[in-house]
Amino acid sequence: MIVPILIRTLTRGAVYALLASGMTLLFGVAHIVNLAHTAFFMLASFGVFYFTSTRISQVAFDGPGWPVLPSIIVTIVAVTGLGLLVYRFLLDRVRQHAQVVLLITIALAMVFQEIMDFSFEGHSRRIREPFIQGGVEILGETVSYQRLLVVGVVIAVMIGLWLLLSKTKLGIAIRATANDPEIANLMGISVSRTLLITMGIGTGLAALAGVLTAPLWVFHPHVWMQPLTMVLAIVVLGGLGSIKGSVIGAFIIALVENLVIFLIPQYGYMRMAFALLVMIVVLSVRPGGLFGTIFEEERL
Amino acid sequence: MFRRLLGNFRWGVLPVPGRVIAVAFFVIIFVLPLITDDRSTLHMITLASIFTIFAVSWDVLSGYTGQVNFGHALFFGVGAYSSGLLYRFLGWDPAVTVPLGALIAALAGVVTCLPALRLRGPYLSLLTLAFPLLLAEIVRAIPPEIAGGYVGITGLPRLAATPMGRYYLCAVVMLVAVLVMWKLTDAGSKYVRTGLLFHAIREDEIAARATGINTIRYKVLAFAIGGFFGGIAGALYAHLLTVAGPGTLGIMMSFQAIIWVIFGGIVSIYGSVVGVFTLYPLVELLRGTPVHDYRFLIMASMVIVILLFMPEGIAVRIRHKIERQCPRCKLTNFALRSECRACGAALRHVADKQAT
Amino acid sequence: MAAFFEAETLTKRFGGLTAVDNVSFTIERDEIVGLIGPNGSGKTTMVRCIMGILNPTSGKIRFKGQDITGWRPWKIVQAGLAGTFQVVKPFRHLPVIANVMVGCLCPRITRRGEWVKSTPVKARDALEFVGIMDRALEPASNLSHGDLKRLEVARAISTEPELLILDEPFGGLNPAETDLVAKSMARLHKGGRFGRLHSEGPAMLIIEHKLSDLMKIVDRVIVLNHGKLIAWGPPEEVVRDPAVIEAYTGKEVPIA
Ligand SMILES: Nc1ncnc2c1ncn2[C@@H]1O[C@H](COP(=O)(O)OP(=O)(O)OP(=O)(O)O)[C@@H](O)[C@H]1O
Ligand SMILES: [Mg+2]
Repeated sequence: MIVPILIRTLTRGAVYALLASGMTLLFGVAHIVNLAHTAFFMLASFGVFYFTSTRISQVAFDGPGWPVLPSIIVTIVAVTGLGLLVYRFLLDRVRQHAQVVLLITIALAMVFQEIMDFSFEGHSRRIREPFIQGGVEILGETVSYQRLLVVGVVIAVMIGLWLLLSKTKLGIAIRATANDPEIANLMGISVSRTLLITMGIGTGLAALAGVLTAPLWVFHPHVWMQPLTMVLAIVVLGGLGSIKGSVIGAFIIALVENLVIFLIPQYGYMRMAFALLVMIVVLSVRPGGLFGTIFEEERL
Repeated sequence: MFRRLLGNFRWGVLPVPGRVIAVAFFVIIFVLPLITDDRSTLHMITLASIFTIFAVSWDVLSGYTGQVNFGHALFFGVGAYSSGLLYRFLGWDPAVTVPLGALIAALAGVVTCLPALRLRGPYLSLLTLAFPLLLAEIVRAIPPEIAGGYVGITGLPRLAATPMGRYYLCAVVMLVAVLVMWKLTDAGSKYVRTGLLFHAIREDEIAARATGINTIRYKVLAFAIGGFFGGIAGALYAHLLTVAGPGTLGIMMSFQAIIWVIFGGIVSIYGSVVGVFTLYPLVELLRGTPVHDYRFLIMASMVIVILLFMPEGIAVRIRHKIERQCPRCKLTNFALRSECRACGAALRHVADKQAT
Repeated sequence: MAAFFEAETLTKRFGGLTAVDNVSFTIERDEIVGLIGPNGSGKTTMVRCIMGILNPTSGKIRFKGQDITGWRPWKIVQAGLAGTFQVVKPFRHLPVIANVMVGCLCPRITRRGEWVKSTPVKARDALEFVGIMDRALEPASNLSHGDLKRLEVARAISTEPELLILDEPFGGLNPAETDLVAKSMARLHKGGRFGRLHSEGPAMLIIEHKLSDLMKIVDRVIVLNHGKLIAWGPPEEVVRDPAVIEAYTGKEVPIA
């Protein structure tokens, strides 16, 4: 019982961490709550599906049928590029109107959903073959290589992200902008370029998550709302703007979900409710999330 | 009395295009059934009236008071479900269940705002997002004989026997609800102080406290008002469609209120009304046309494009185009006038300044 | 007899930093007290504790014989203690006059039941008093920094306080404006009616980091340094106090 719970928590948590850290980064730096974040994730799943498939529909529509690796790379590049375009031509122009950013990201998610809906005839999709076949036995439980791949890639990416933010010039620019855009601007950092790059990193991470989970989870054009809810819960739980908080929050939420699924299977469909409950409890105790920065210590 | 009303109309309404449009809008709403008796048109406008109540109640809470609620569907759903349950178990009439449902939704507003009182900005929004989803899951977990499960509580009595009756009922409730909320949020009101205080809380809560305002009380009040009117909308909706289903608690229901209000113009009652009455019929009218499959895509793209050029909202932008405030006495004038209709101050000068 | 206002061993810590350290002082009903200290000495933090915006870590605050420690800010205003912010906090999108009307709508004023008619008039008089009546109908975001400082004062006095705390009311004002505000403070302190605006003749606690502007109007000065109370007494004595000179890093005390 414990081993499968842990293994599933690890994969699910890893994917959540990838999604949540992109979201929290964008919030921390640009103060944008990007409600289209998981729509990019959904797009990426459909992207690999499209590029790797040979037949997409009954009505004899042939997919490109590419090998896995080029499909993945093209998908991630395309989705990241789309994210950059969205930022450059939409979000950047309305950044000072928080409510408009909100609305545009919702509308954008709907646009993506609708386009995928009629491009792929509104069916649930799933990539049948995993990227790597087979699996290993760990503590009496067979773990597919696909899951191990997910966990491995996520760990590598998170380390890379940490190195990027703490060691490189770009990382310093990003953190400076997050701290105070005006001062960053005075110090010669191009704020709009930094924000654009941050958006690129965020959507890139979402795209990566979408690609990695395509063989694991079923996806559907409407499946951006449920992950969005989970990711938002994780991001607030960890504290907005804190990547560390998001990673920890991701594993907490994943653990809660798997505990519900394994311990009270008859209520398995309520796993989201339990996860949200955890978020509500944490926020009631700590109004800034686990690792959130409360800027002014004012009584609330 | 009548003369005074007439005088008000001549001096207060006729010279101001925005008010003329508002009055014309209500006149059209009230004579529409006399012109057409097309069932689907009437049904569409009836639903639009209900959604208007819902959208304006979101604006009161999120726009005016600044407590941006991502889970306004909670109130809609609580209103729908509680009036449904009241009918199913007590057999009461919609005349009773709708107001009671609204009161229960107001109570839900008060309860949810208790954990929300300590939170600000996005934390508050994301916390409130969770509540309707949580409730929807709970409803599904309750045996269907009680709460209807995935289908919802079906077989509710209709609001009125004929489409026209339902139409007028919802239109009148909408008119009254919108007027009440307009007065409650009117910062210039002499007799109601909530308007000004809501604005103050949105602008700076700490400053409002240090100015002697019990912000907790007024935030709770804002949640209760939002809950009450959101609940009315939900209860009317359930009785109109004769079913209170889990869709009323869905995330899309919450987002829809946000879309309508921000599209029309946040922190303006008329903006919310315009938002609902343009976007909702647009989607409905595209139903069954050749672009049927693309109607949501069309709506979403239109929202994006328009917001890009009018970030303050379409209705607010149009109003600024056709009306102009007198720089001296702050009276509203038709934009084409060159001088203020009351004090004669020049208006052109301001227009030029605004243009730059 | 208990003092009109009394802070007793007031302490405020932010994590490891002790911003206010064991400060005790009193203010009498008819006094104007100056509070000075170098940058970062904890003046703002201390008055925020007094106004109920921050919770003090320890210590007691008594006002008119009541223990108001840990009260909510609006209850403190209700009791008759109002203050301004060093970093101005106007209601930016509201007209200037509406900013002040919020103060006129607090329960301390409305309990007399005449608010319906008197609120706009009173707000006007408060703006007249600080001298920004001509901007009354503009949104507050249009005002210059100096005018915003005055708006802060107008909003605070519209609640008819008995103890008024002003956090750097002269910050960013030019000498002429400073003079004007100082004079109106003195008038306010005398008490009486200014149109509809009623002045209780409040006691005042005025924060400033230079003493020069305060010299003429204050009766007594308190000096904070690194959160500690290092000197108090009449202004002429305080400026000669070695500890104070030391606190201003050996420089000449900025009195002239
Ligand atoms: N919310 C906070 N969290 C952490 N530290 C704080 C906070 N507010 C103030 N401080 C610290 O407390 C110390 C005192 O600050 P305070 O603003 O009270 O000084 P001040 O005397 O008002 O200075 P000034 O003359 O610049 O206004 C400073 O070192 C400041 O950095
Ligand atoms: Mg200070």
